[in-house]
Order: sequence, then structure tokens, then C-alpha cells
Amino acid sequence: MFRFLVRRILGAAVILLIISALVFVLFYAAPRDPARIACGKVCTPETLELVKKNLGISDPLPMQYWEWLKGLFVGRDYTSYGHCDAPCLGYSFQSREPVLDTILDRFPTTISLSLGAAVVFLIFGVGTGMLAAVKQGKALDKIASSASLIASSMQIYVVGVFATYLLVDQLHLLDRASYTPFTDNPGKWFSGLLVPWLVLSLIFTANYTRMTRSQMVESLTQDYVRTARAKGLSRRTVFFRFAWRGAMGPIITIFGLDLGVLLGGAIITESTFSLQGLGMLSVKAVGTNDLPILLGVIMVAAAAIIVFNIIVDAVYALIDPRVRLA
Amino acid sequence: MSFSRRNFLIATSVAAAGSTVLSACSSGDAGGSGTPSAGATEYTGAKVTIGTQADSTGPAPEIPGAKTGGTIYGLAPDDFSHLDPQRIYYAYNSTVANVLHRCLTGYKIDASGKQKLVGDLATDTGTPSADNKTWTFTLKEGLKWEDGSELTVEDVRHGIERSWAPFITEGADYVQRALTGKSGKWRDAYEGPYKGKHLDSIVTDKAKRTITFKLAESKPDFNFTLAMHSYAPVPAKLDTKEKYDKKPVACGPYMVKAHTTDKSMVLTRNKHWDPKTDPIRNAYPDGFEFRFGVETLDSTDRLIASQGNDAYAVSIYKGVPAERIQKVLTDPELKKRTFNGLIGGTYFYWINTKRVTDLKVRQALIHAWPLQQIRQIYGGPSAGDIATTTISPDIIGYEKSDVYGKLKKPQGDPEAAKKLLKEAGKEGQKIVYAFPNDPTYNKTKVVIENALKAAGFTPVIKPIDSTSYYDQVQQVDNSYDVMWGGWSPDWPTAFTMLQPLYDGEAIGNGKNNVSQTNVDWINEGIKKNAVISDQNEAGKAWVALDKRIMEEVAPIIPETFTRRFYVYGNKVGGAQFDPNFSATLLYKTFVKA
Repeated sequence: MFRFLVRRILGAAVILLIISALVFVLFYAAPRDPARIACGKVCTPETLELVKKNLGISDPLPMQYWEWLKGLFVGRDYTSYGHCDAPCLGYSFQSREPVLDTILDRFPTTISLSLGAAVVFLIFGVGTGMLAAVKQGKALDKIASSASLIASSMQIYVVGVFATYLLVDQLHLLDRASYTPFTDNPGKWFSGLLVPWLVLSLIFTANYTRMTRSQMVESLTQDYVRTARAKGLSRRTVFFRFAWRGAMGPIITIFGLDLGVLLGGAIITESTFSLQGLGMLSVKAVGTNDLPILLGVIMVAAAAIIVFNIIVDAVYALIDPRVRLA
Repeated sequence: MSFSRRNFLIATSVAAAGSTVLSACSSGDAGGSGTPSAGATEYTGAKVTIGTQADSTGPAPEIPGAKTGGTIYGLAPDDFSHLDPQRIYYAYNSTVANVLHRCLTGYKIDASGKQKLVGDLATDTGTPSADNKTWTFTLKEGLKWEDGSELTVEDVRHGIERSWAPFITEGADYVQRALTGKSGKWRDAYEGPYKGKHLDSIVTDKAKRTITFKLAESKPDFNFTLAMHSYAPVPAKLDTKEKYDKKPVACGPYMVKAHTTDKSMVLTRNKHWDPKTDPIRNAYPDGFEFRFGVETLDSTDRLIASQGNDAYAVSIYKGVPAERIQKVLTDPELKKRTFNGLIGGTYFYWINTKRVTDLKVRQALIHAWPLQQIRQIYGGPSAGDIATTTISPDIIGYEKSDVYGKLKKPQGDPEAAKKLLKEAGKEGQKIVYAFPNDPTYNKTKVVIENALKAAGFTPVIKPIDSTSYYDQVQQVDNSYDVMWGGWSPDWPTAFTMLQPLYDGEAIGNGKNNVSQTNVDWINEGIKKNAVISDQNEAGKAWVALDKRIMEEVAPIIPETFTRRFYVYGNKVGGAQFDPNFSATLLYKTFVKA
């Protein structure tokens, strides 16, 4: 296990390095000059040079990248902002705030949204899928399959607006989407995120229902399940100890990836509900050519996906005895 | 105030939500709350005047029924990018600067949207010398900063001098150019105030509270220039340089109490602001609370629903998006909670006179252009009025003229165009039409292409990446014949419209004379009009020049004067259109009982 973790963490560092270099190159390949955007309406060549210097982008690209990397480990000095302590991800071109502070400020919103929705869609998605598999071919199965097909065809920006209109504006059943830190007011945290959780999980629940059902159906026809039944084990034991464990592998893999992606920012959900998480931050950063923010968010998103992949691989081995970590 | 390329960049790349953060000066139908007429509005042409010393005396006229107290909430998709006045140029930043900062002059806006330039910090709109090269202002008594210290002429000078600091790169530069006479090289003339040196061209007398500007060239409308927030004062003793942008010192009725970047801002009363010194601002609420990151569709729905604190809320600088316009205008109850106005400036199409050299061909293009169909795509009459001049209705002296009969045939006149093309012997001429590649202009390109074909042209359609659109069309050697664009003045005199668009000196890469018009009588006319002292007389001269340019050069196809609608919460009173920044005029709002 230890060797596995060390190897994967080293691999992750290399991947992050490659991603950061790629983002740097791609950013400057775009036909947009962040200095020009940050420069005023009357942008004389002299002013443009000043802006580049202030933003820390007057050096050649490799030098800029090196400075950025160095900042991660030893910090960095800026002419306009002073010293930025390690790990320094730089300053936003737009808000002129430290990138790390901005990300740390937005991350709790994204974590709350993602984890809350994950709890809902895992419980309902896996639960409904298992029920549908047990009742294969019967009315419940057909209803669950059809409902999940419809739900998975929905778009968050449609369902989100409709849910707000119906549940918040018209029926006054739920609170308007907002984010209040859990530590400030757990009640408001919950009520403010309930609508986004339900909407986000609606789409995911559908996918997990369909996936769980198909995995379970396949698992229930496996030889080891038939053997277990033939040995006279109870239906419940066969279902949960044998079939379910066998079916969960692919679902955990997808869940790990989904959660990693969500933690990198649920862009559409956050935009639909005006939640200030990493997703909205990255959308705005793209629009304003805010490289430091973009790079910071991409690093966090990539790290989240990599970390969850490692966790998934480790959990895989725990759930399915056929898998061993090499 | 700008309507410029940067704002379009924001409109297309950041906000991308339909309504832009363009700025404007006064507008033709501003302040009213009704549905605009289907055709062009009848403008009076006298929406902006210059006020007297009595007009410059506070307090601001009371708004009937207004009450003091409570909190007004503001919603916006983006935080203000700057609070440091010297870094403020874009309209949306000025919406908050309006209540934090004050300038030597400012605009006193009445309920109908009419404006008077008055002395804000100054006792009047300034005294120019006969040649308009020297301008003197006297500060009012009793002006204070938020900490209770006196606001002096030295603070006014410091605000202007710090424009030279290397960290100030975003503000306007009209005053810097005028003070140094060095055009775009004004930074070379002075190193800024932080090493103890002052500009020789600004003379202050603290005892008499006077400040005198000695300009290198004649500037009859210099008092308009000084109304820009880029020239607001900053207290030298409290100047925190780069950090000032996050926590400026207020001299307006409100000050920043708390600000979480990109999330929220709380403004509270500046107890040292004396309403008797302020002829412009009412300041009824005890404070404002702004929430950022609220997308425009979301904020519009919240304001329509008016639940909880949203009943006391306004959209700070974003109008109703196209998706909700019909809902807002067709519901009588909702319509009562709206106001609208024309955003300053004009949308048009540049005709590249270096490529389309024949006047008759350019005139044929104007005849052929399908303005009505284009406006329909923008949302119909509620989206704006059809433009027929360069000068917009918010400019002093504006008069409606319609050289090519576009108001009678807004759908285009292919027959008239064909006739002109035939006379020019250019039937079937190829026209390369360039536009920003975004959903709206991809729709208008279709009607434009059809209209060009109907008029006997051979259109070539050229979509350009919207984020670098202006960079590309502002290249003098570009390969486009007709290019979509827009321009807004920084203050309501026509100099700031016609000079950048038609002066031969404004031709160049990155400059705004994209039609590359370089005609001696136009260049001379601009110089001559620019030094007329009486702004009403100057206005008439500019309008005449604009009309002659349209008749004899036809370098642009005027398109629309764009209108913007706003909706607000049902417990907000006094909400009206800010004709200068196309936003909600915060300092006139109040909480209804």
C-alpha cells in the first residue's frame, strides 16, 4: 500500500507539472492580451508596458513559468503587491487578491455543493438502481428506468431555473439558493443549498440509477452469485455480500471521477444558482484572461481528480478482493 | 465614461449577458418609465445644460414622498473592478463612485433625466480665461473626508497628480494631456507626487480655496472633463497608494464599511458629509448592501419576485436581459417597477473609406442597410431607437436629421441603393462585412447579407473573434469594407464623438477613426469647433459638421441608440435611470415605508 501511494503521489506531481505548463502555453497561444484587457481605454504603449510590469508578465514566457513554479515553494516578490508567501499561486489580474486566498475562500462553497449533492445522488441513485435490479422487468423497474432516462436528459440550467421558480418563488417551500458557511449557521447552510443539491443530484441520480441497475443485473447472473445461492445462503446475504460488492467497482470508479470533477467546480450549477464557488470563479477567469486564477483553479481541479482516483483505486481493493494493489 | 472597445470586450467576454456595462452621458428619453415609441423618440436636444452658482448650492432638491433610513440592497454579476477614483473609467465602477467620491463638477439630474453641469465640490462650474487655457475653481466651505479632516485644494491637486503613479494605468488621461501638452507621452513630463514634486501647471491657494489649471491648449469644455471620477480628489495624508483601491477615503455621502472582493460590499453613511454642500445627492438610505456574483437573469427574477430583502433591492448596473423584457413590459404591475433610458452613444457601422473610395457606393450602403430588421433581432423598439446621426441624443446641441431617409424606410431602400451603384458603375461590388462572432451578430449578419444582395452588392461575410474584434478592425491595413462598432462620449459635448471618429490624426493602429476619414474641411472643422467657448453654440456647430460629414463623406452607417430597461424591488422608491452610466442612480433611491 505504501509503495502504491508513493508511486501515485509522485505520478500526480508530474501530471500537475505538465498540466500547469500546458495551461501556460495555451493561455499565451490565445489571441488575447491580458495586459490589454487590464489596461485602460486610452492604452498607450507606455501604459501597456507599465501594466505588463505590474501584472508580472513582462518577462519571456519560460521565465514567467519558472517564477510561478518558484513561487509555489519559496514565495515571490511583486512590484505592485509586495511579497507573496509560499505556496504562492500569484495575484489575480482582475481582483488583485492572492489567488490562494481566493481559492480557499471559494472552495468551501464548492465542497458543500459537491459533497451534499453526492450524498443525495449516491443514496437515491444506488438505492433506486438496486431496487430496479431486484424487481427487474416489473413495474418498479420500468418506472425507475423511464424516470432516470427522463431525468438524465434534463439540463441543470433548465431544471435549476424551473425549480427556483416553482419551489422558491411560487410555492415558497424552499429557500433561494445561497451559501452561508456551515460554521456560521448550519441551518442556513442547509436550507440555502437544498435546491442546488436537489437539482444537481437529479441529473446524477438518474445516471447512478441506470448504472447501478445494469451492474447489479449483470452481477446477479455471475457464476459466484449462482453458487452462493446454490449453497443455500439467504437472498439478502447473496444480494449484499456477493452481488452488490461485485457491482460496486465500476460505480465507485465513476463516483471518484464525478466527485473530483465536481470539486473542481460545478460550473453550470454554480452559475445557475449564482453560487460563488470554483466553477463560477473559473468561468470569469476565462472571460477576463485571468491566468493566475485560471491556473490556480485548474491545479485544484486536477489535484482533486487525481486524489480521488488514488482513493478509488485504494477503495477498490477493499471492496473487491479480486483486486490487489500492485 | 466610455463606450469603447474595452466595454465591448467586457460585454462579449466577461458579462456575456446581453446588456453591457457601456457608459453614456444623458439620453433622450431617460428617466421615464414607459414603453418607448415604435419609431425614433422625439428628442429635445437640450437634455444637458450648464448650471449657475445657485444650481451648485446644496442640498439636492427633495424627492416627493422620500423617507430617510433603511438599507437598499444592490445586485450585480461582477464586483467593481476599482474603487480608487484615479483607476475608475468604466461606467459600472462609476455607479458606486457616485456615492463615495465627489469631483469639482458633477451632473445634477432631475426626475425627467435632464442634467445640469454644476459645481459639486466647487462653488460653480469654474471660471475660464478668455482663451479657455486657464481654469479656476473655488472649493465650497465645510467639505470633509470621512475621518472628519478638511478636504482641501491640495487634495484635489493630489488626486490629479497621482494619475502619474506607475500603478495608475486605468483612468482617463484627458487632463494629463491638457496639463502637459505632450499628447500620449504625458507620463514623461512628470514623475508623480510621491517624491514631493508638484505639477507647475496646477496652482493652489489653500487660504482662498482656489485651484487653477494652466492648460497647454484651449479647452472650453474642461469643466465637463473634471466631472469624470478619474479626477476626484484623494487626501494626500491618507493615500495608501496601491492599497487605496481596496479602501478609498470617501467624501461622498457613503463610505465603505466592509468589502469582500467579488462577494459583497457594505456602504454606511459618511457622517462628515454635509448635504448643504451637495447639490446632487439625496442619500436617503442609511446604507447599501451589495451582493456580487448574481447573474443578470437570476437578479432579474429575484427583483421580479421581490421576496425578503429583494423587495428593497435594485440591479446596480445590469438592465433586464432580453429573455425577460417581454415579461416585464407586458405585466402592468411589473412595468410600474421599471425605468429605462438610452445608453449614451451610438452604434454604427464603419465604412472603410480607403477601400470603398466612391461616395456613391458608401451612400448606397447606407440606403441598403436593413436597420429595422437589425433592431428587431436586438429585441424590437424596446431595444432602442434607430440612429441617423453620429451625434447621439445625449449630446449638447443634438438635432435629429435624416440625410438618407432611413426613418421613412428603416427596412432599407434597395432601389435607391441600386440606382446609386449604377450611377457609380459599381454594380455587383464586393463588400466585406466584418462583425464580432457572437450569437447576436451572427443573426444580424443574415439580414445584412440579404439586404446587400437585394441592393446589388456581392457580400462577403467575415466573422471575427469577439474578444479581439476591435484589435483587428483597428488595424489600418485591415481587409474589411464595413465593420460593426459603437462609440460613446466621455462627456456630453460632441468633441468627444467626432474627433476620435473623424479626425485625420485619429487614424492609426488601435485608434478609433476606423473609417480612415481624412478630409481637410473635417479636420479644420474639428479644430475650429473645439475652441468655441459657448457650449450651446459649439453644439450647433458640431451638429452642422456631423450632418455635412454624413452628406458629403458618408463614413459610417448609423444604426441604433440603444435603450436599457431596469426593474427594481417593490419597496424601493426613487429609482431612476442614471443617464451618465446607464445604471441605477443609487443616491436617489429610498426605502418605502
